[in-house]
Amino acid sequence: MDALSRIKQLGMPRRNDELWTFFPVAKIPAPEFPEASVCEEDFSDEKDFAALLPVAQNVHPMVKDIAEGASEMALLKSNNDFGRTVLNIGKNAKASIEILDNKVLHPLVAERFDINVAEGADVEIFFANPACDLPLRFRHFRITQAAGSTVRFSAIERGNGISRVSIDDFLQGPGASIEIRTLNMLGGNAESHHRLHIYHNAPETTSTQLSRNLLDGSSRASYDGSVIVGNGCTKTLSGQLVNTILLSEDSSVSVKPVLKIYHDDVECTHGNTVGELDAEQMFYLVSRGIPQETAKKMLISSFAKETFYPLPDSPAKKRLLQVLE
Amino acid sequence: MLSIKNLKASIEDGTQILKGIDLEVKPGEVHAIMGPNGSGKSTLSKVIMGHPAYHVDGGSVELDGKNLLEMEISERANSGLFISTQYPTEIPGVNNVEFLKMALNSKRAYLGLPEIGEDEFKKLCEEKMELLEMDDRYRDRGVNDGYSGGEKKRNEILQMAILDPKVSFLDETDSGLDIDALRIVANGINHIMAPEKAVILVTHYQRLLDYIKPTYVHVLRHGKIILSGGPELALKLEKQGYDWIEEK
Repeated sequence: MDALSRIKQLGMPRRNDELWTFFPVAKIPAPEFPEASVCEEDFSDEKDFAALLPVAQNVHPMVKDIAEGASEMALLKSNNDFGRTVLNIGKNAKASIEILDNKVLHPLVAERFDINVAEGADVEIFFANPACDLPLRFRHFRITQAAGSTVRFSAIERGNGISRVSIDDFLQGPGASIEIRTLNMLGGNAESHHRLHIYHNAPETTSTQLSRNLLDGSSRASYDGSVIVGNGCTKTLSGQLVNTILLSEDSSVSVKPVLKIYHDDVECTHGNTVGELDAEQMFYLVSRGIPQETAKKMLISSFAKETFYPLPDSPAKKRLLQVLE
Repeated sequence: MLSIKNLKASIEDGTQILKGIDLEVKPGEVHAIMGPNGSGKSTLSKVIMGHPAYHVDGGSVELDGKNLLEMEISERANSGLFISTQYPTEIPGVNNVEFLKMALNSKRAYLGLPEIGEDEFKKLCEEKMELLEMDDRYRDRGVNDGYSGGEKKRNEILQMAILDPKVSFLDETDSGLDIDALRIVANGINHIMAPEKAVILVTHYQRLLDYIKPTYVHVLRHGKIILSGGPELALKLEKQGYDWIEEK
């Protein structure tokens, strides 16, 4: 079934759709679609409207191949309302991919990234969007990882509109691992919604998720993260942690961790903290003569930077920490 | 210099921890406060610095004639008060040296002085770190982040050395220190001490007072100073404990 037919079958996202539980679905404008789909790929199993939307719009995919053993840095930027990028990362290749912001000011912008990571490849994917006024943006990532591959996905979101990032990661080969680190720094009426499905489909695979939120004004964030460990996937390691600091009375966060485990001998954890700035840390700083407001900024900055400190030295780490300076 | 009169303070549930503390500290003096666990020693330092977990029920605290209790916490620090808590707080993500510079410049701004120059600050930092035998690892890490107990105490004294306060209230600075570290930290405190400054030491043991000679020793129990004396009092407490005082 092509993407357009699948969208017609599914209809627009609804509040009772578990993939859109926390998203303000009423704010999604009904897009206009072409009469027929030109893409012949089968999307009959795809359930996420955001994953289908760019394909259903018949966008011409940008395909980039990184050769076996190569080492490359790349910048990706979509200049249309809808964009699709296919990245094929060769065996044992090393890639650093930064996704730049789409500045098209249309009511709805949607991008889809298909990232195929071959055996032993090491890939970092990151974006640190400058504060922008895109009213509604979807970014969907479908990542497939072969044995021994490593993916580090890192993002900072600090826009003024409504953003949704969805990730489907398939750990298909033994020893594959993904590390996801995201930071939302939101104010006003901004919203950021993350929906992740991590499929551990091979033994000895690892996934790490850390999501941090700094929410001010009336901003909202949500984290809907599922980890699915398949039968026979022994020695799976999975950890999920969401830390939120609410800087205002009206900001809010919703977190939904889901673990579906079909095998013993795995280690899966999840945690969630919501609070204000640490009172003892604040006292310590001001007791050294630092004014309250400056101390607050220092603590906010430290909370934000900590999201990315554990990353290995790389273009992603450099860029993300630079943005936070 | 520091004048504490009939200071009473309680925690949120209304339990009174300090029940009328009187303490006069003059320039050049070292005061040692000893006492059983839970007597209110740590609370005293936090209350005079304005920790939000405590409510002042009465009394006064003045530093050079200025009422500290009416000041913001940062203002108390910039007026010349320094406290080191028993368990220094870790702040990952805030670089230790940048924090020191920020604190020093906050004090300088309060005193109407310009920001310290890069070279001058670097020199100051190097000098004080050398005094405390601290290596470069302290520069790159977050404030107390991942430090051992002894490293944290040393870092506290580094802050004291750089901020150059009039009155320093050091709460169990000797805990967690091995023999060499105790000597280094104590020497650092002695080096920073000057005739126009004062130090209040909270300790359980004589060993710190072997290095830093106190002018007065006080016993704090049940939220009040129940006995004061000279350095010989600490030796007696070390031998006999606290029970004899109540018996007296």
